[in-house]
Amino acid sequence: MKSSVKRIAALPVAVLAVSLSCVAAAQSPTPAPDSETFDVEQLFAGTCGFCHSEGGRAAGKGPQLMNTPRDDDFIRNRIKHGKQGAMPAFDGALTDSQIDQIVTYIRALKPRAG
Amino acid sequence: MKTWWCYSGLPLVVGATLTVSSALAQTVDTARIEAAGQNDWLTYHGSYKSYHYSPLSQINAGNVGNLSVAWMHIPGRSTRGLQSMPVAADGVLYYSGSYSRVFALNGATGEVIWSYFPELDEALIARQTHSPYNRGVALGEGKVFVGTMDGRLFGLDAKTGKVLWETKLIDSQKLTVGFTGAPLYAKGTVIIGSQGGEWPGRGPIFAVDATTGKKKWEFLTVAGTDDAMKTWGNDSWRTGGGGGWMPGTYDSETNTVLWGTANPAPLYDWSGADFKTQGARPGDNLYTSSVIGLDLDTGKLKFYHQELPHDAWDFDSAVGEFVMLERDGQKYVVHPNKGGFVFVYDRNLAVKNVWPLVQNINFVKSIDPKTGELIGRRDFSVGKVTEMPLCPYIGGGISWNSGSYNPKTGLYYKLGQEWCMTLDIQKTTPVTTPQAQLNIGADFKMAPPPSGEIYGHLDARDPITGEKKWEVRYPEPPLGSVLSTAGNLVFVPDSRGILHAYDADNGAELWNHSDGTGHQGGIISYSANGKQYIAVTAGFGGMLSDDYAPNFGGVYKSMPRDDGALIVYSLK
Ligand code: HEC
Repeated sequence: MKSSVKRIAALPVAVLAVSLSCVAAAQSPTPAPDSETFDVEQLFAGTCGFCHSEGGRAAGKGPQLMNTPRDDDFIRNRIKHGKQGAMPAFDGALTDSQIDQIVTYIRALKPRAG
Repeated sequence: MKTWWCYSGLPLVVGATLTVSSALAQTVDTARIEAAGQNDWLTYHGSYKSYHYSPLSQINAGNVGNLSVAWMHIPGRSTRGLQSMPVAADGVLYYSGSYSRVFALNGATGEVIWSYFPELDEALIARQTHSPYNRGVALGEGKVFVGTMDGRLFGLDAKTGKVLWETKLIDSQKLTVGFTGAPLYAKGTVIIGSQGGEWPGRGPIFAVDATTGKKKWEFLTVAGTDDAMKTWGNDSWRTGGGGGWMPGTYDSETNTVLWGTANPAPLYDWSGADFKTQGARPGDNLYTSSVIGLDLDTGKLKFYHQELPHDAWDFDSAVGEFVMLERDGQKYVVHPNKGGFVFVYDRNLAVKNVWPLVQNINFVKSIDPKTGELIGRRDFSVGKVTEMPLCPYIGGGISWNSGSYNPKTGLYYKLGQEWCMTLDIQKTTPVTTPQAQLNIGADFKMAPPPSGEIYGHLDARDPITGEKKWEVRYPEPPLGSVLSTAGNLVFVPDSRGILHAYDADNGAELWNHSDGTGHQGGIISYSANGKQYIAVTAGFGGMLSDDYAPNFGGVYKSMPRDDGALIVYSLK
């Protein structure tokens, strides 16, 4: 390699302001569990529903989650570690207790009225 | 717990460099790209004119029946398929696969001249969705330029594949997004736009010095100027989305980079009709879902047109080529938008006409062809969208691959998609820490149009007026790029895996061949040792093609989403 410019470009200030730096993250690696404000429906509408259609009620890029035959451990594991080229891993974004809430949500899924 | 977002990547594959070909790449510079010599394909869009057209006619409507596979190349590790547009210069074909694997191949034989596999941050890639596919490389000054999913741009020696420089441009660990789009080379500068759209960030477009790799400038597509900042209420610019994930082009007459920008985040807003003051991101949200003209040297915004002010439907302008035309002494730029409309501009991006390519559009009633103003727009509130499905589907009336303009027939060949979606709008909060997460804003599902079945079509139209000459239909929308040639041919690689050749004048099918798996990437033509070749990438999978198996079944059920091949045809 002749010359290697590895400087990280100036980040948008606002994003930095609301983000942990890499070093800070290393000191406190577990994202603060915020289970009170955590809203699984919102998580689906924001992130999961992009692939799991109708809030998990129908197949899309990802399979239907309503009535899934998978056991809780499988579901937890899939959400944590994802699957290469299919589903992203969420172990950094979601805490164990949040993932438990997602499992509860998936188990309670019913077809939408109307 | 592991501090994964600091982890800098597993040792993957060390770039193998090996020079075995006598083919000598001459320098590709701006003048050569402008001249668009018939033997080469020098940019993602062919040349700065963005015609996706080859002046070669050795393969033509008379002999296309004799077309057969000359050679193939398997890039390996084609996670989410093979989506790139090859380029070719002096008989050498360059292309990229998933994980930004880059290959230089002898265009006549497929012999590998060199390959380069950058070592990527695999832990990061496991957390990305729009990853790890790569859509192409750029050529210039004896170098090959390629972006990576972990936010870097590489300058490789075009003769050896050796890394000449490497520049980290974006903090993908934090922002999750990286580079999948091909860069653009112009006058000593390499331009590349980051992903954005559904990701809470500010979607920068970068310019880098082609010789040193040093960053020259950065333009923020979200609130990149003081004026634009005022179009994002409640500080929503902090998480606005944007980006410019596909390459634009360069207009040397005005020294301007023309680029299309992505949608704002969340994709779907709950503002209702008062989107200027209510909802997730009150205001017009400049410069998202816009076409912008940036000064090549400074990155300063010269002019723009926001195709969809306050885009509430994810119909961004990052898709779509910039077709540079001249008619009756007037110069035009034709740019398709994901919503299914084709915008016709002058060279300063002032609207000259707008015409619909697809039938099933209802996010607006129409767009004023004189002013570009949206008429009768649908702005949703929280809850289920009941009156009728939203058309087109999130995949767009027009996808990100390119159409083709043929100066011999004067026709623009472009694929359109007829599909819609059901939608349940929900309030979301952008997640930016510890790592940015998707921000969609709705639960949704693909649905047929109110008028009937889902289908796709290739249209042959006048690019300025939109007048249709002929149309070919497909049961499922094709997603690849289109190629037309001076041999009076139009090539369409479809989703089922069939490559079709049509008569450019009337759409009659003259030849087809199975490539064994679905297409969703590029197709080019070039010449090596005096012989014409057609090169197409095959390999399905990713954000749109993953919808095909559950919705269409059939051949898509068994179609791999982690495989791909470059297939090169010539006359027997
Ligand atoms: C980019 C698309 C995508 C996103 C985003 C996504 N998933 Fe998935 N998900 C998939 C795919 C594809 C599979 C199937 C993987 C396989 O091949 O087994 C899957 C599988 C699953 C499974 C296992 C279901 C089964 O029957 O095998 C669960 C549970 C799941 N996802 C939950 C979630 C949750 C919760 C989220 C959001 C935090 C999410 N997914 C986000 C694509 C996605």
